[in-house]
Amino acid sequence: MKQGKSNQRQMTRREFLGKGAIGAAALGLSPVLLNTLLVSTGCKSGGIGDLIISEDILKKAVELLMARGADFGDVFIERAAFDTVFSDDRKINTSTLIEKGVGIRSVKAGKTFYAYTASFEPEEIYETARFVADAAAQESATDAGPVITLTRQTAELDFPILPDPESIEAQKKIEMLQGLTDRAFSADRRVTQVSQFFREIIRQVNLATSSGKIIKQTLGLTEFYASTYMKDAEDNLQRGGDSRGAFAGMDFFTGENSFEAIVDKSVSRAKGLLEAVDSPRGAFPVVLGPGGTGVIFHESCGHGMEADYIYKGSNFAGKIGKQTAAKGVTLIDDGTIPLMPGSFAYDDEGTPSQRTVLIQDGVQRNYLCDLVWAEKLGMESTGSGRRQSYRYAPIPRMRNTFIDKGEIDPKDIVANTKRGIYVAQAGGGQVDVITGNFMMGVTEGYLIEDGKITRPIKGATLSGMGIKALETIDMVGSDLKIFPGAGRCGKTQAVPTGFGMPTTRVRGMLVGGPGVAWEDIEGGAA
Amino acid sequence: MKQKKEYMDLAVYAAELAKKSGADAAEAYITDSNEVSIDVSNREVELVNSSSDAGIGIRVLKDQKMAFGTSNDLSKSSIKDMVLNLIHKVPFHTSDEFNVIPGKEFGYLEGDWSRYTDLLSYDPKIEAVSVQDKIKRAILIEASALDYSPKVAGVMRVRYLDQESYAYLANSNGIAGCFPTSGCGGFANVRAVEGNDSQSGTQFGIKVKYDDFDPVWVGKRAAEKAIGMLGAKPIKSCEVPMVVSPEVGTPLFGYIVGMLDADLVQKGKSLFADKVGERVAADIFTLVDDGKLKGGLSTNPVDREGIPRQATPLLVNGVLKTYLYDCYTAHKGKTHSTGNRTGGSYRSIGGIGSTNLYFPQGEMNPEDILKGIKDGFYITVAFGLHAGIDDISGDFSIPAAGFKIEGGQKTYPIRGINIGGNLFDFLKSIDRVGNDMTWVQSIGCPTFSVESIKIGGV
Repeated sequence: MKQGKSNQRQMTRREFLGKGAIGAAALGLSPVLLNTLLVSTGCKSGGIGDLIISEDILKKAVELLMARGADFGDVFIERAAFDTVFSDDRKINTSTLIEKGVGIRSVKAGKTFYAYTASFEPEEIYETARFVADAAAQESATDAGPVITLTRQTAELDFPILPDPESIEAQKKIEMLQGLTDRAFSADRRVTQVSQFFREIIRQVNLATSSGKIIKQTLGLTEFYASTYMKDAEDNLQRGGDSRGAFAGMDFFTGENSFEAIVDKSVSRAKGLLEAVDSPRGAFPVVLGPGGTGVIFHESCGHGMEADYIYKGSNFAGKIGKQTAAKGVTLIDDGTIPLMPGSFAYDDEGTPSQRTVLIQDGVQRNYLCDLVWAEKLGMESTGSGRRQSYRYAPIPRMRNTFIDKGEIDPKDIVANTKRGIYVAQAGGGQVDVITGNFMMGVTEGYLIEDGKITRPIKGATLSGMGIKALETIDMVGSDLKIFPGAGRCGKTQAVPTGFGMPTTRVRGMLVGGPGVAWEDIEGGAA
Repeated sequence: MKQKKEYMDLAVYAAELAKKSGADAAEAYITDSNEVSIDVSNREVELVNSSSDAGIGIRVLKDQKMAFGTSNDLSKSSIKDMVLNLIHKVPFHTSDEFNVIPGKEFGYLEGDWSRYTDLLSYDPKIEAVSVQDKIKRAILIEASALDYSPKVAGVMRVRYLDQESYAYLANSNGIAGCFPTSGCGGFANVRAVEGNDSQSGTQFGIKVKYDDFDPVWVGKRAAEKAIGMLGAKPIKSCEVPMVVSPEVGTPLFGYIVGMLDADLVQKGKSLFADKVGERVAADIFTLVDDGKLKGGLSTNPVDREGIPRQATPLLVNGVLKTYLYDCYTAHKGKTHSTGNRTGGSYRSIGGIGSTNLYFPQGEMNPEDILKGIKDGFYITVAFGLHAGIDDISGDFSIPAAGFKIEGGQKTYPIRGINIGGNLFDFLKSIDRVGNDMTWVQSIGCPTFSVESIKIGGV
């Protein structure tokens, strides 16, 4: 780390951080922060309401941050409330988490320096800005910094959160969970336990950048998880689950996304697992159902197309303009889809969100870039710079990632598969971006026998190599569905992401399972 | 790290305020932590994130109902608002006769907890070392990997990180105290290339003491692992004996101990329910949780509720002895807490968790374990455990990498296969135990083998 003359002292952590995390007279928050947040923002994303911290303080902070020669920098202010109602063992409880802080970043010659303070006191913010500025300083830098004019940006996208979470009494939510818990318990005699939770997250974010932007937006996420446990007479125990997460309020939860439908699905999955056979193992055709199974492309390809990994030589590096998937396969990462968990008006460094076509008809067209890595790659930011909270510097991330629809009737895809498995819902997954080796758990799957979906299976896992999996897609259905899942992607920071795909067949995929080995299956060889 | 009297006073203030405002009992937990994380690439800094974080979590008990809230605003006025909000919300909760905030009768560690130096995982040096020196360490991790061999083509992520934290606990039943913890470590994810083949190797390392963490070892080991996998290929589906490296074994025991959580057992979510006294694993298998282990990464004087840590044998020679308890589950199960309420930061209400968990080592040299196997698989990488293990039924199928065992020798590297089975059967099939106890974070085990595993291949 290079340092300026005025910064010769050893920066021990105490000094570097000596910003006394908490200002005694921090901006007072009302007893119910959710209410404060919503009243002060009108529940809108990117509107022109009041900032959390006044514009003149932001201006001074950014000027101090840039005073020592950084290439660029930003000040990210956040306050957030997480309100959870959970049901477990027929008992309903709640928890509330409230936090606030200011994260300050400077970037010099591709190096990022980051620190944060939980205080909204101007002096604390300035002090943090000075330390971060010093960390990135050059010998030649003078203390006469630039004058920066900040302009408020008006978002083109708006993601309303309806109804206003604060208008719903806590008691109402508790009663709702009581009803949903009873629904699960009474669905089947074998139900032994039920856990559910409903969480509303509101994050009010202000951003001031050295390029002169002020962004103000409210990010929201409403999530519901249901788990149902069932035990049969032979002492087999299984858990079935389902969940949704949407950048929306409770109004989103209707139809197949209704709370009742989610609970019923958790019951039917537990039932399916009790009746399931052990998944066969080996290499054979896999038909992925529409929607949440798209997580497989998030893992197998999406991560490998993030700019930081590209720069360091992931298996998708150097592939722009080259064929990386079978013809007919189009992969999109879209942060503008209403209601989806990975959507937002601006990313966390002030770039408007966008729809990014990564692969078009089998050919690699783009990567997912934030500002820092776009510059290193000589590309443009795709609005993919995201952070978990004010505690983190932004890095390139996915938003809502999906394979675009094709032309084949989904029924024909199953009917044309002699023997294989059908995956209706995926669990989590993981990828090794160096080798492209990925995996995905199967939470609802079935055998395909003679072109028909037959018995449920348990214990199945799919794995393979990223580009190879894309190349061995041989049928893409017409039934694209983008799934508002409640999971988080955990690339060193947890952020909400959406997945999607139409019914799709992949040849010769490695299926792991505790069952019998299947060999010499039609379509088994990739 | 400095003990802050004002935080201890704030925790006492919050617990007493809740009691005065109508709670039957209350508990406040404050953590104050500093963290440094440094990413490097191409022998230069990529990101320095240096942060401090403090906040409070409060539990309020009234009429057998419990409410929880947290905030990182530590002003008295904000804490007061939060306490009143919790008192307002608590009547809506479901009453539970076993809800409890412990008193001294639950077992109490007298005096200043920070003075039990044998029970602390803490090194003041972590705070004293400058950020610049830590940057040098981060660069050294990467350099040790890059310089290991010309086959090392680069790194995907190299990070140095450390954390130190002070926890302050006070409840209205007279339990109060504070103590520090710290840790320091790093990891490297390295790319080795030969011809068209690209392979990865990852190594983590974490220690309580700054001087015990060896950045050179982390970098070298990651490089060694990546190079060792060059030329890896899949094998055909088969059923063979498997030797398990400690790096694969330790996270699997993490899933096993998850099922020994008394809360899951009592709620009918664990297949270990009603099995105390029964044989559930091979007789050479023993599993111990020890929150007082000297030098352990998860050694503390007390748990998240202020209950003293202890050593708890969970399985002994294959027989299930007990579960891990906190005060709630102990109350419900008419037993004593084992001091296993965990939860690092103020943001978490905590839950039951293991401390330092280990499978004690046996007598065999790891090479001798291999020698007894004509045709087998030596697993060194297990991948995506969170998605590949069903932690209720115990069914698993896990993408894996490792080495072929032929005629008692480790031969060529294998990647692109899957192991499948059930964790309960897995425990019963452990047949040989090595003498090379290895700790991976807070879980330790030696190399061991299982009689047979189902491999899915091509």
